[in-house]
Amino acid sequence: MSSAPQIEARRPIGVNAKHLRWLLVVPLTIFFVVFFVVPVGLIFATSFNPQTIGQVSVTWDLTLENYVRFFSRSNYLMAAGRSVLLATLVSLITLVIAYPMAFVIAKTENAARNTVLLILVLAAMQLDMVIRIYGMMVILGDNGLINQMLAALGITDPDQPVQFMYNFLGVILGLVQFSLPFMILTLVGVIRGINPSLEEAARSLGATPRRTFLRVTLPASLPGILSGSLLVFALSISSYIVPALMGGFRVGVLPIHIFQQVAEGARFQFGATIAVILFLISAGAVTVYLRVGARHSGGLA
Amino acid sequence: MGRKIPLPMLIMAILGFCYMLVPIVIVVLAGLTAGEFLTFPPEGLSLRWVIAFLQSEKYLSAFFFSFRLALMTMIVATIIGTAAALFLSRTRFIGRGAMRAFFLSPVVLPGVVIGFALFAFYISTGIGLTRTIWGLWIGHILYSTPYVIGTVGAALASYDVSLDEAARSLGASPMRTFRKVTLPNISQGIQAGSIFAFIVSFGQFEVSLFLSAPNSEPLPIAMYNSLRYKFDPSAAAAGIFAIMLVTASVLLTNRLVNIRRLLDRN
Repeated sequence: MSSAPQIEARRPIGVNAKHLRWLLVVPLTIFFVVFFVVPVGLIFATSFNPQTIGQVSVTWDLTLENYVRFFSRSNYLMAAGRSVLLATLVSLITLVIAYPMAFVIAKTENAARNTVLLILVLAAMQLDMVIRIYGMMVILGDNGLINQMLAALGITDPDQPVQFMYNFLGVILGLVQFSLPFMILTLVGVIRGINPSLEEAARSLGATPRRTFLRVTLPASLPGILSGSLLVFALSISSYIVPALMGGFRVGVLPIHIFQQVAEGARFQFGATIAVILFLISAGAVTVYLRVGARHSGGLA
Repeated sequence: MGRKIPLPMLIMAILGFCYMLVPIVIVVLAGLTAGEFLTFPPEGLSLRWVIAFLQSEKYLSAFFFSFRLALMTMIVATIIGTAAALFLSRTRFIGRGAMRAFFLSPVVLPGVVIGFALFAFYISTGIGLTRTIWGLWIGHILYSTPYVIGTVGAALASYDVSLDEAARSLGASPMRTFRKVTLPNISQGIQAGSIFAFIVSFGQFEVSLFLSAPNSEPLPIAMYNSLRYKFDPSAAAAGIFAIMLVTASVLLTNRLVNIRRLLDRN
């Protein structure tokens, strides 16, 4: 009835509610600080401690010797270079394979068909990578389906199978398989956001479908291409399982070196140094990704 | 449709889908093969490896260990993730974007590094979490919560705040408004987010690598340890059950929220 007293009575609650709102984010913030910021901070600190086998806790004895060791041994520098090269190649190859898939998904107007395609992509993305690698190993292994087929057709000698895996190629094939869904989902959002009247205008002005694609659609999807590639770069440089199984531990990338130093050598300080370097490369790519993403639309993260 | 998609593009897309999906189909076939391992041509189908999986101490216990861990992760990730998503969607302040990025960041940062960091943290603080399910739990929450924030955030972005205002102006308390108006409207987003959290935890490998104990390991770690040495078709049979679980959860997610809308940035 009389609204004035009601507002009077509600105002203090409203002010309270605004402050209480911050309570919503307190649990997650505490959790992230204790179990994310502090542990990662400790790894950074550990990397500046002198290498002492079996020693875990952080001391005040600070040194740069681990970093000097990393950057003066060709073994580790090459691992870093190999990791970056691998992630770059995977980004490019994934882009080439994912773009037509994303294009088809974005341009499929039939809602049911569109949903089925997206479900396939999401299911592939959510499925445990070890299981997908199992499938790839059955196909690409020395006794795998492709080599059996090649031998049965008399193309290759059964005793000399084609090496599809346990090498650089195998790691690339595995990482592309791993990255495809992430790239597709990033691209679908961007391609769908392109104003269709741009394409129609180009077509009505006499451009061929090919020319329309190259001159209108592809340039308009550049932001998605950039952020998808950065996302794939960050994901694939961090992968342990793919280089381990598809590379058969013969392709030494940074995550494998971290595990070897820590789990097999108990060298926490040097392992932490490699971990810091990997973390910084990955975080750098993610930061650029977020900058690109903030300016344009599209993408899950 | 046919005219809008050039034929070369369509062919490349079909090949791409094969590349993405054939390994998964192969796992199913390998788990159902009658032979010792999958050969070309195939030796016929049987359920022997599925039965072997159901009788194997190693994979079955790993499967249920993962299931339990994923449930535990889902509960916590859903609660703290939903609360954070509510906060992020309702509060305007400088640094909100940075805070959101911070909470989402574990998804894209190296899992091996985070797993190692937690492992070293548990050991050096001596809080008894080293190589326990609780230690794994913490790592998995870190990786699953971002998916809840993303999914619930998307539901909140399409939620009309004037409904809340209407309830408040009719005299409902903030808590009552939340329970009776906001929550029912975003509950499907929350359910979808919790399914995501479950499935991300169930398939998590990199974080678990440093944190799991030899006798009680999650399914991905158990499969990895056996794959390093030999092809065990009962691992593929375990994979079949994981594939069914993932497919079911994605289908369920699709019923709860429009998955096409998840791609829109919020």
